[in-house]
Amino acid sequence: MIIEMSKVRLLGPRDQLPRVLRVLQDLGLLHLAPPSLALEPQGLGRAQLATREQRERRHLQRIVGDIEAAMGELRIAPAAGRPAGSPAARDITRWARLAWRTRREAERLRLELTVLDEEKALILKYQQFFSAFRSLLEAESRWPHATAYHVLVRGSDAGAIPKLRASLAATIGSDFEIYTHPLASGEIAVLIIVAAPAAARVERLLAQAHVQEIPVPAEYGGGSLSSAIPAMLTRLGEIPATVARVKRRQQELAHNTGQELSRAASALHDRLRELDVIPQTGVTAHAFVLEGWLPTRSRSTFEDRIRRDFKDNVAVSEVSREEWASEDAPVVLSNPRLLRPFETVVRVFPLPRYGTIDPTPFVAVFFPAFFGLMVGDIGYGVVLAVLGLVLHRVSHPNSTLRTVAEIIGPCALFTIVAGFLFGELFGDLGARLGLKPLAFDRHEAMIPFLLLAVSLGVVHILLGLGLGVASLIRRHPRQALGRGLSGIMILLVLLALLAAVKVLPYAFFTSAVIGLLVAFPVLIVLEGFVAPIELLTTFGNILSYARIMALGVASVMLAVVANRMVGAIGSVAVGLMFALLFHLVNFAIALFSPTVHALRLHYVEFFGKFYSPGGIRYQPFGHWIPARPGA
Amino acid sequence: MEATVLMTIAAAVAVGIPALATAWAQSRIGPAMAAALAEKPELNTTAILMIAIPETMVILGFVVAAAILFR
Repeated sequence: MIIEMSKVRLLGPRDQLPRVLRVLQDLGLLHLAPPSLALEPQGLGRAQLATREQRERRHLQRIVGDIEAAMGELRIAPAAGRPAGSPAARDITRWARLAWRTRREAERLRLELTVLDEEKALILKYQQFFSAFRSLLEAESRWPHATAYHVLVRGSDAGAIPKLRASLAATIGSDFEIYTHPLASGEIAVLIIVAAPAAARVERLLAQAHVQEIPVPAEYGGGSLSSAIPAMLTRLGEIPATVARVKRRQQELAHNTGQELSRAASALHDRLRELDVIPQTGVTAHAFVLEGWLPTRSRSTFEDRIRRDFKDNVAVSEVSREEWASEDAPVVLSNPRLLRPFETVVRVFPLPRYGTIDPTPFVAVFFPAFFGLMVGDIGYGVVLAVLGLVLHRVSHPNSTLRTVAEIIGPCALFTIVAGFLFGELFGDLGARLGLKPLAFDRHEAMIPFLLLAVSLGVVHILLGLGLGVASLIRRHPRQALGRGLSGIMILLVLLALLAAVKVLPYAFFTSAVIGLLVAFPVLIVLEGFVAPIELLTTFGNILSYARIMALGVASVMLAVVANRMVGAIGSVAVGLMFALLFHLVNFAIALFSPTVHALRLHYVEFFGKFYSPGGIRYQPFGHWIPARPGA
Repeated sequence: MEATVLMTIAAAVAVGIPALATAWAQSRIGPAMAAALAEKPELNTTAILMIAIPETMVILGFVVAAAILFR
């Protein structure tokens, strides 16, 4: 439900404003709004930030930026504090220096780690290749005044090596040696050593043959592979110790500065919030006015605190309901603990407007019911319940995962209940074991299942129209009447249909048709010529609930096919494996498809009848609270 | 032709043509939603719903087919 709000006005001497704002921040109850325009002719103007305050604001934003960057780099979890009063100027200066230094140092350490990681990756990449040349290096050392070329040849081009040897012999005679070593990758490492005077001719030859020489990284002993390999290996051995040293330094930095940075973040955010609400204050030369909303149930607490702290200096009065419009009031959804997870489903949409209806309790009942009817299997329900329990166990309170786990619970319960109604345990396995359906067998009785699905649609849509009437009756009574009449016409059509197929006595048919003939022109008068189209759309919406039957039948069919695999494919063991695999696939589909379609039935069919989005989120002026990770 | 054969063909047509229509609609919505998600990841729920909307055709086709076969 949407909780009731009250709008209050605070009046007091202007010199008390900073103290009042601090008390309001401590209370954390008032959602501030600019004062009413009605007060402006009485000399009231909006308070503006003084130049000094604007400068302070920019300065604090810069410091907060540094603090958040430093805390992010060092992975310091922010903690909300409750600082006593505004931060002193010397504290701000100290925090500014600390934040800037810590940020710079943290960024430097992160950069150092990145460089070390990249260096390690580079060495590891080259290691396999260059270590292949290690066995060839002895040969290189025997030619102290020669030039060495390191070449990689694809395994399929191994025939090119004798040709290379022949070309070299033809070009420079016998002043060279070629050594080869096969690599694990299938390539061949080739070392060509030539006498220094012939080096230029060999380079030309290699270039003409498009043979790529492997470059030796310059930072490891220049161009000589014999000095590069040991240098690289030594460096590789040093890197873990250097990484550990840098990480230790990061931890020390986080440990030494974390608490202070956290305190600074909290105090500075609070001060920034205080500065941000100043333009929402109305002021005259000597007085201030503050207006805002708070939950009605908290009003007495609020008034008592203001009276206690300011005696008669600050007056609190309630702004009468006639002076404010519903759409301006902020919205707080408040539901019992069991229903609260389903607020997440509603929050996908913008919040409902104040004074309209929060659909959470209805979603909490119908969403699991639709899901359960679509899956409708004791076995799948139990597996789902286990999955929900596991998720609940591994998740943190108030996290998204915990909400998902709490939604899975009722869905699993409804799935098991529907499983008993349809006599399904992993498809028709239950029937083979003697399980009897309490209602009907979905596998056989498709038409009763279709009727059940459409009947549910009728109930859900009529409920939606009823909620639409309740939601609109005060603001738009004409539209509310139209919704109500649409609901009545749907009932009349149903009565006529049931009478036509002789479920009800034929007298109902005549009465229903007469009722429809009377209601139709009234509906056009109330809602215009779009009314018949909307009525037809509503019938389409009801038929849309047939998807419950379609998905349900598809689910049971897949489960039956899975069970038939045992014995149908080769040995029992193979069949069993395929059956399990098929059930797994069916379960995965059962998690996804019914969820999407149950959501769709709510968002498109149900919400369309009454939901009025555009509510303002209740954001009381209070102390800064850091965002929860994973929430 | 026997009535059973005709009914079976009718059921196949009832589910087959909407299935093709659904596939075509989803093939147009899918890339559009993927592009939208690249710009606005918060539209993920809307994307799932958009993909699910054309499925109504094949679902109703299936219902009609079931009604033909099991009447």
